[in-house]
Parts: sequence; C-alpha cells; structure tokens
Amino acid sequence: MKTRKIALALVSAAIALTSVSALAGCSKDSNQGGTSAAGDTNEPKVSKTLTVYTAMSEDELPAYATAFKEATGITLETVRLSAGEMVTRIKAEKANPQAAVAWGGATDSYINLQKDGLLDQYTSPVTANFEKQFLDPDGYWSPIYVGAIGFACNHEWFAEHPDLKEPTSWAELTSPDFKGEIAMAHPSTSGMAYTVLATILQLMGGQDVNSQESWDYMKALNANITQYSKAGSAPVQAAAMGEVAVGVSFAHDIMKVIAQGYPLDLTFPSDGTGTEVGAIALIHNGPADERTAAEMFIDFVLSVDGQDLYATNNTFRVPVNPDAEVGEGMVTLDQLKVIDYDAEWAGENKTNLIEMFQQMVDDGSNVKS
Amino acid sequence: MTTTDTIAAVKTTSTPSATSKTAGTVGSLKDFSSQSSGVRLVDITKVFPTPEGTGETIAVNNVNLDVEDGELVTLLGPSGCGKTTTLRMVSGFEYPSAGHIYIGNRDVANVPPNKRGIAMVFQSYALFPHMSIWENVAYGLRTRKLPKEEVIARTDKVLKLMDIAQYQRRFPNQLSGGQQQRVALARAVVIEPAVLLFDEPLSNLDAKLRERMRDELRSLQQRLGITSIYVTHDQAEAMAISDRVVIMKDGNLVQAGSPEDIYEYPTSTFVANFIGKANFVTATFVRKDGPAAIVRVPGEDVELVIPKPGKIEFKEGARCCLAFRPEHVALSRSGQGFPGQVTRATYFGDMVEYVVETKTASLTIEVNNPQISERFAVGDMVHAALDMDCVRLLADDAPVVE
Amino acid sequence: MSSVAVSALEPGIAPDRSPGKKVSSKTGMKSLNRLVRQPILLITVLSVFVLLFIFVVLPMFNVIKIAFSDENGFTWDYLIKGLSKPVYQRTFLRSIILGVIVAFTSTAVGYLFAFATTRTEMKGKKFFNIMATLPIISPPFVVSLSIIFLFGRQGLITRGLLGIKDANVYGLPGLVVVQTMSFFPVAYMTLRGILMSLDDSVEDAAFSMGASRGRIFRTVTLPLTMPGIISALLLVFIQSMEDFSNPAVIGGGFSTLSVDAYRIINGMNDMNMGCMLAIMLLAPTVCAYLLQKYWMRKKSFVTVSGKPTQARRKLHEKHIVYPLFAGCCFFTGVIILLYGTVLMGAFVQTWGVNYVLTLKHFSYVLTLGAGVIKNSVILAAVAAPIGGFLGMVIAYLTVRQRFPGRRLMEIASMLMFAIPGIVSCIGYVATFNTKPLLLTGTAVILVATFTFRNIPVAIESGTSTLLQIDTSIDEAATISGAGTWYSFRTITLPMLRNAFLSGLTYSFVRAMTAVSAVILLISPHWNLATTKVFALFEASQFSDAAAYVVIMIVIILAAMGIINLLVNLLLKPRAKAPSAEAVEAALQAQGSSK
Repeated sequence: MKTRKIALALVSAAIALTSVSALAGCSKDSNQGGTSAAGDTNEPKVSKTLTVYTAMSEDELPAYATAFKEATGITLETVRLSAGEMVTRIKAEKANPQAAVAWGGATDSYINLQKDGLLDQYTSPVTANFEKQFLDPDGYWSPIYVGAIGFACNHEWFAEHPDLKEPTSWAELTSPDFKGEIAMAHPSTSGMAYTVLATILQLMGGQDVNSQESWDYMKALNANITQYSKAGSAPVQAAAMGEVAVGVSFAHDIMKVIAQGYPLDLTFPSDGTGTEVGAIALIHNGPADERTAAEMFIDFVLSVDGQDLYATNNTFRVPVNPDAEVGEGMVTLDQLKVIDYDAEWAGENKTNLIEMFQQMVDDGSNVKS
Repeated sequence: MTTTDTIAAVKTTSTPSATSKTAGTVGSLKDFSSQSSGVRLVDITKVFPTPEGTGETIAVNNVNLDVEDGELVTLLGPSGCGKTTTLRMVSGFEYPSAGHIYIGNRDVANVPPNKRGIAMVFQSYALFPHMSIWENVAYGLRTRKLPKEEVIARTDKVLKLMDIAQYQRRFPNQLSGGQQQRVALARAVVIEPAVLLFDEPLSNLDAKLRERMRDELRSLQQRLGITSIYVTHDQAEAMAISDRVVIMKDGNLVQAGSPEDIYEYPTSTFVANFIGKANFVTATFVRKDGPAAIVRVPGEDVELVIPKPGKIEFKEGARCCLAFRPEHVALSRSGQGFPGQVTRATYFGDMVEYVVETKTASLTIEVNNPQISERFAVGDMVHAALDMDCVRLLADDAPVVE
Repeated sequence: MSSVAVSALEPGIAPDRSPGKKVSSKTGMKSLNRLVRQPILLITVLSVFVLLFIFVVLPMFNVIKIAFSDENGFTWDYLIKGLSKPVYQRTFLRSIILGVIVAFTSTAVGYLFAFATTRTEMKGKKFFNIMATLPIISPPFVVSLSIIFLFGRQGLITRGLLGIKDANVYGLPGLVVVQTMSFFPVAYMTLRGILMSLDDSVEDAAFSMGASRGRIFRTVTLPLTMPGIISALLLVFIQSMEDFSNPAVIGGGFSTLSVDAYRIINGMNDMNMGCMLAIMLLAPTVCAYLLQKYWMRKKSFVTVSGKPTQARRKLHEKHIVYPLFAGCCFFTGVIILLYGTVLMGAFVQTWGVNYVLTLKHFSYVLTLGAGVIKNSVILAAVAAPIGGFLGMVIAYLTVRQRFPGRRLMEIASMLMFAIPGIVSCIGYVATFNTKPLLLTGTAVILVATFTFRNIPVAIESGTSTLLQIDTSIDEAATISGAGTWYSFRTITLPMLRNAFLSGLTYSFVRAMTAVSAVILLISPHWNLATTKVFALFEASQFSDAAAYVVIMIVIILAAMGIINLLVNLLLKPRAKAPSAEAVEAALQAQGSSK
C-alpha cells in the first residue's frame, strides 16, 4: 500500500511538474511579448523578440540568430518549414498571424501570398543598389539570393559507364542511356521542380502553355525518371546515394551535398537554365509589437553583413546584394547561360501548368517499380 | 458518501443519501416509514430489442411477486424463461420497461445498483483476479469507507464464518472451486445486505460439492435472515433451499408456492413436468361431485373419481388431463388399475423405474425399495393402480412425455 | 426526470403492447435518466464529450467547411473534382489496396510475436518483446531511409553483398515492407494484451478433448482473439491510409491519398482540395471502423470470467516453438538491421560515403538540439498519461456503460487518428488561432494534437481487453457498493493494465515522433525534435538526423522503462491481508466501541 502511494505521489508530481513547466512555457511567450510592449511605450515599439517563419535550411539559422542579436539585441525566434508549408501556415493563420516575417523560399510562394493579401509592402533602403530584375515592382517582397538549376551527377556511376558523359544540356537528359537514371521532384510539391517545368516552357515554347515541343520534351524526360520526389532536395540525395545517375536541382542544394563528401559533380545545361530568386517579406497583420523588429531583420538579411553569411555558412547561395562577398565555389549567374526567367508568368500559370503536367506527362499510371 | 456503518442501518433504512435522493424525486408516491427489506415486483415487464435490431422480444411479461423479509424465493425455469432478467432488474443492472420494483417499500427505479444495499453471488463468481481473498471480501466494506478496524473485524468474521480465513493471502486462481464459491459468498454477505441475490451460484460445481454448498448456503441464509432471491434451473436445488419457489416460463410467472405446494398441486402440465416427473393421461370431464371430480378415461371404460382434483374448473364433457407422479402408481400382476405391459425396467438401487404401455398412455412408474417389493421384467403383463388422492386434474395441454 | 419512470407505471402500457418504438425511446430516456442518477459518471461522460467536441469535432468541422467552400461560399466543386478526376480515383484505389495489404501483413507479423511471447515457453521472450515494440519508437521515414541504404541501387546488401545493380525499392512492394515494419508493433501491442488475458483453460479444454495444437489454434485461440485481430487490422489499415512520410519517401510512382493531400496543400497551396481528399480518405476508414463494430457486436468473446483457473504450463512442443522462434528471429534480424543502419549512420562521418567513425553528429545534436529534445520529452510526458488514461476511460464508457451518444463518442474519438497529419493541423489552426479558443503557439495545442491523434490505439486495446472480461466482474464491484469511478479505479483499470501500458507507451512514442501532424502547430518556444530531424533529412544531413534519432530512441526506451515501472507499481495485484495482530486489535476496538 505504501509503495502504491509513493508511486501515485511520484506520478502526480511528474505530471504536475511537466504541466507546470508546460504552462510556464506558454506564459513565457506572452510575457516576452507583454513586457517588451510595456517596457518600450515611449520609444517606437521594438520587441525584444522576433518570430519568423522560414524555409531556409536548419543549419543556416544559428548564424543569423547570433549576428542579428549582436547587431540589434533582438532575439530571433524561428520556425523552420518547407516553402509550401510556410505558405500553408500563413494562409491557415491569416485570421490571427503568429509570425511577423516570412523568410526564404522562392518568389512564387510570395507572389502566391501576395495575391491573397497576406503580405505587407516594405521596401528596404538596402535594396537601393540591387539589380532591378530581382526586385518586386510593388515592393511586397525583397530578394535575398538567386540560384540556378543544375544537374547533380554521380561520378561513380559515370566511372562505371565510361561511354557516357555527364549531361550538360536539357536534351542530353532525355537520352535512352539514362533510362531510370534521372531524379526530379514533382512540380506540384517542389518549387524547384516547377521552376524546371516553367523553364522548359519558356526555353522551348516561348511561354506558350500548349507548346508541343515543350510537352514532348517533358514526356521524353518522364520516360527516364524513376520517381518524382516530394522535396526538391530529394533528387540530389538520390544521386548522392547512387540511386540514380543524375538529379535535377538547384546548384546551391547540390553543392551543399557535394561539400558533405558525396561523389557528385555539378553541371549546368548549356542551352540555358532557369533560376529562382529567394525572398523575404512582412506578413500582413503580424504581431504589431514585432513590426519594427521585422523591418530591422529584413534590412539585416539584405545588408552586406547578412548576405555575407551565405559564404561563411557554406550555403552556396548566391547573394543579390552586389556588395556582398561571393563565396568560394559559388556559381554566379554571369558564369552561366541563364534564360530570362519570368517569375510573374510562372506564378500566374502555375495551377494550369501543373494540371497539364499531371494529365499529359505524369498521369500516375506508369508506376515505375 | 454518507453510507451507514452498521448492519442494522443497511438492512432497515438503506443508505440515507440514496433515500433522500429518492424522496426528492418520487417521494410523493411512496412512504418510507416501513423498515422491511422485502422485495416487491409490481407488473414488471422487460422488452429487449432483438439482436438484429428489427423487432423486440418480451423477456419478462407483467410479473408480480412479493418476497417477504427474510424469505428465500427461488426463480425456477428453463433457460430463456426470464428468471435471470428478473433478478438483474432487482439488482439494478437491467431496468424494467414497465412496472415498479420496491426494496423495503422503496421504489428503486432510480436507484443505481451500488446504492440498493443488495449483494449478489454470480454464476461465474466474478472474483477480482488481481486481488487477494482478503481484498476481495473486504472490497464492499472499503467502498463504504468504513473505519479500518471495522473493515478488518467484519472481514475476519466472515472469512472465519465461511471457513476460508486460512486462504486470505492467496489469489482466487490458487483456490479450488468450492473455496472460490465460499469467497464469492463471503464477499456478498460481508456487507450485510438488505437483499441477497443468487444467479445460479452452484452450477459450476460438481454434483457432490453442489449439494454440500447448497446446504451451507441455506443454513447461512437462515442464520443471517437475509431476504434472498435465488435463480436456478435445477429443480432439486430449488426444492432443497427455498421457502417459496416461483416457476417461470417464456417470461411469465406460471406458479408460485412452497416446494410442497408446487410439487403436490401443480396448476399446469408444464409445472407438473418441470418439477419432478409426471404422467399425463388424457380424459373427459364428466361432472363434479362435491370437491371430487369424476372423469372418464377413453379406452378404459370406467369412470374415475378424483377426490382432490385441484382448483381448475372444467365444463362437463370437456377434455382434461390426469396428472400423477410415478411414485403414486402401484404395480401388480393382477388386480385393479389399467392393464398394460412392461416395456422397460431400470434399476436405480433405491427404486426401480418401469415404463408400462397401457391402452391409453405410456406410464412411468417408480417402485421404491426394490429389495423388498415385487419385481417385474420387461414383457410382463401388469396392472397399474393409481393412488387417486394424488391425482390432479389439469388442462389438457400435456407436453410430449420424454 | 422521475416522471419518465413513473409514467411507465400507467395502466395499459405493460401487458399487451404492440411492439414498437415506444419502448425503445423510453429505454433511451431511461439510460439518460440513469446517467443523471450517477453524477460522477455523468460528469465524466460530459467532460469526454466536451473534450471530443473541442478537440475533434470542431477541427473536423472546420476541415469540412474548408473542403466545401471557396471564396464565394459553399461549393460542391471540390467533391465533384475529387470523385470525378481519374488521378484522384486511382490514388484512392491505391491507398485502399496498400492499406488492406499492409493491414494483413502487419497483423500477421504482430500476431506471430504476440503469440510467441505470451502463449509459449520460448526462449528470449523478453528480448522479442522489446524488439517488437522498437519500430514504433522512431520516425517512420527512418525505416524508409534504412531500406534505401540497405536495399537500394547502391544498397549495402543489394549492391555490396549480392552485386545486384538495378535493385528497385520504390513502389508498392517496398512500401508494403516499410509500412509493415513500421506498423506491426501496433498490431503486436493490441494482440499481446488480448493473448495475455486469454484464459488458458479454454485451450486446455480443447486439448483434453483430443484436438491437435494446430486445430486448437484454428478453432479456439484464433476465434477468441478475433476482437484483437480485427482491432489490429483496423488500426494498421488506418495508419497505412494516413501515413505520409513512407509513401512520400519510398512510394515511387505509387502515390497515396495522404501524399496527394500534402502535395496539393503545400505544393499547389490548394487547402480546399487537400481537405476534400482528407475527407475522402475518411470514407474507407469510417467504413472499416463501422464494419469492425458491426462484426464485434454480434459476438461475445468473454474468457476472463472471474471464475479463476489454475495457472498452467504454456506451449512448449518443439515443432511449434522452433518455427515461431525462427520467425521471430527473422523479423528481429530485419529490425536490428534497419535500426543498426541508423545507429551506424549516426556514428560515421557521412552516411553512405564516408564510414570513418565519429561522434561529431552527437555533439551537433546535443549543442543545437538539447532544447527541442527537452520540449519533445516534456510534451510527450504530459500527453502520454492524458492520452493513455483518457483512452481507458473512453474504452470503459463505450464498452461498459450505456448512455445516449455512446456510438458517437466511439466514432469521434477515432477521427483525428484517421486523417493525414497536415489536414489535422489545418483543422487545429482554423479552430484554435482565434479567440475564445486561442491556443496557437502554446504547448496546449501540441498536447491536444498528440492526445487526440493517438488515443485510438489506447481505446482499441482497452476495448478489446474489456470485451474479454466478463461484465459480472464489474457488476460484482458495483453491487458491492462501488460507484462508477471507484469501480473503474480499483477493478477495471488494474485489469486493463496491459492495455493501459500499450496506450501510454504508444502515446508517448507517437508524441515524440510525430512530424506532419505538428508542422503548422510548432512555435519558436515549442519546436520539436522530429521537425528538426525531418529538416535535416531534407537537407541531406543524414548522419545528423540519425544522431537525433538515436538519442530519441534512447530517451524513449528509458521512458518506456519508467512507464512500465510506474504502471506495474500503481496497478500491481493487491495481495493485502491484515496480520493476526491487526485483526486482534481491530476486533478489540470493535468490541469496546459496542
């Protein structure tokens, strides 16, 4: 009986303790919001913390948190999501947004958010000397990096197939030699894969959504693809592990994997490649007391200090701030043949093109197992 | 919980909380002055939906029954007759579709089982497998939040009474069947209930043990004077332990009375056949002659005079049925009675059972003390003489004699 | 209230009523009436309903609302699209095919382990017990990853050992293997409880009648464990239907509804269509559930009757034990291989490439991940007892008590389990992001998600165990004077010990390993280890992800040990009996007071 009582007490204590700490955690949120709001009533409200939804990589975040804290004294609090999840979450929370800033992910996500009125305009003074082609004319979002589509080629596989060479054009990808050897994400889940689709249609079809040549190409490519992965990063993994010979992805994603020691080479299509521009923006109706901090953070990310972190973090992202350092191994756009990628057009036709893709190319019936 | 802590209180007034609650809701209907712990069923009907959910079956049909304080009443009947359902309505596990149940003059319609001040012994014993014998028996007292000393003292008393004190540290699966039965009984009586319910408690025991437990149970019940309702399908058990036997069939109460009453004056062929064995001979009612009845048995060209025919009235010329027990027939090689031929003779030691084919019926006849009485063999021609005092006249719906 | 009971006494109703609804509705009223007489039961039933309403019905309603509305309000468009488009029809069919196959394979493997560890005198039962519960304790995509590493094109086994160059693990067969290995522990835990409480004497009786062991199994053991088997089939089927991470990683062209729902919500940003797919996903699940209930209702499986039987020797014949042992060894081998791969991955420089041993991933996790791991542990530790306990309560209420809306309670408690994580997130955000139920950003919303998404496992194992226990044991407690709560605490819960343990363990583990179900609910203060693992996995930092998983496995194993210990301590058999001196003292005290 005694042991039972002791055990009972232990359990209740454990539950109480955990609940209390849980509650403490909850109140911590509100306290921080509350005290900062109350403490700074005289000055322009600057919250001591800033809540950010981000699609940047997990491992990049600590450096930003440290640098931003040093620069402004504000604690950066992040929730890391994929770009699509970030958009979903902001949409789902629109009645009462929980974060002030959306950070990372390509511009199509931001165009999408802006269409639903979920972003606030903010033009950072830092962007004054940025190249105009990267900027949003309406000032809803600001560009933070650019990336080009490349091919991750497993050189061990190519060593075993000496008669084949690593592809350097879109056309080579459809060669029968690569049957079952190409990995790409599905355009409906991966912004990166959609960029490929939009690139092909712009490159081969001149923005004609019904371009026969473009869709023929996609069908030919489809014949070589083992599986359309969900995440844009998965094709690189597949190539890294030798599951396929070639994975199509963004150069900076490929280079990060190379840096980890996987046997990959990075090549680019010489006939012209597509690009993505990463972005950052203010969330409409975000926590009011974090507004100033949010603007300060956007300024910081766009600033030279912020953009230099790409190099120090080994992210291989190419900065858009012309004064920022281009890190070793980074492939800047001027080294490549880049098509004049029309993000606006791509965003407008997204639903349409993906439905066409599902109908004409990946009808799902060709289970490749 | 302000449950009472003495025997008397439980027996007489039941728990105050429950009483006051009932008083507040249906108080106007009943008076609560009586201290009786009898049980009264008034027009009880229970309707179940059929398993398919399409229709309904009437499990208990308009049953009325009074169980006196301290009385042991047995509900007896074949399976599916509604006896267990009736018991479960008294316990509160089933609620009547219509009618009222009173325990000690209190309408218990809205009293949950745990507040009725009753105890129950289950067919499967339903011992708590994860508790020692002591914990099992003390359980009911502990639910009542009695002082520790009282729990210990009362549990100990009952354990000793039931002769299972030496097993109090064991778990139920370490006891034999008879011992488990005692634990179940101990657990029921320890709370000194106003009413004790038995749901075929002995059916899991072998024949010898069953008889012994039956006697123990009856003497315990009499000693404690607890009003009891006992469900069984075993007529011998019912006869042995009951003050009163209630016979049920297809949800209906067909006859109630003392064991003697039921055995000697069955009011239907069903009861006559269910309690003990009976012979049935179809006859024509001729007329009444004072208390006696005169009938004619077809094929036997005589009029029989039945001095104690029972209470059923017949019109002249109506078909009726003679019912009599196998032991109330005397066999002789020559003499009075229906002539017939022995077709079977079974020796049981204390008696011989003969089957005799007569012109009108096949009779089962028991002759006691075969060692000193005359014996007959199969094929012998005999005369079967009825003890007319023991013949009853029943409505002619005789079941096929097995 | 009392008028209902009294009116039943009115003349003319009782004897020759025409069979009709009159009585049934009256019985319904009576069960309500009875409930009012038992305040504790009433309060419990009401609280459960309130909780289910807030945390299940409201979010589900919001999901339905989203699926049936666009900017212009109500619309059938998404339903029509979902039903008419061949793409969705095919995915729908595939999800069901996969669910059915995996339900049977997982239940078969689960039964093998459960039978071997409970009904035989096999060696290493404790070890097999641990091995069979291991696969639920890590995020499922780890199994997928291990399979790719081991059996993929460059797999250590297919390429390295067997020299197969074009091995393909993607698609239906690979998915079946991965889901089976991921979900059979649920079947195992459900079946173990029921096999343990199966009365030996039933098998003995059949054996004594001359039946062979095989025949006994077919004709006695198997039918008696049917409720557990059906429960296991249902749980695995639902999980397979709902599973996102495995089909996403290893499905190949074999796309399932939950992957499609995720893709449409996050890729196409079409929340409406995604929610509609989730609702379509519910249809087969609810059907399977109703089928199960219908089937179970028609049978009774009581084997714990309260008429105790003597303990006896378990199966020991060599020709039975050896094949079982071999089977357990085989699957244990697979599990060890899969988890060994993860373990190895955590200790090497770069998984798949550089196999030099290192501890750097652990220092990475412990410096960067200590906070999120702590969060995960705290939330799981809060959610598990709530979920486990609530599960037992709901099982008890729905099996043992009669009250209006009982079946509704059963179905509602199942819903959150059956929809894809991302959709349950949307429902939760839609419900709890505004006042008065503003919970976003707090730990409460995460605890609620964990509790209500995982509770069906506890409910199912509790239900199938309860169905095996003769109601007369409960009735014996009640008639002894125990109220609902006292009887639940002293009789039902201790007898449900194994089911309770399963429920607790499962809730804890799932809370520690949930991914897509929390992705929209985590906040900076309440970020979780699994979302970090998933992020690392996406960033190809496999070894860091593996290190997280290893640490989480260690924590979960420790937690399981503690849970086991506490439950055994709390619900251990009550062996009490007073000493002779105590009896003497009590008797004297009684005597003197009189």
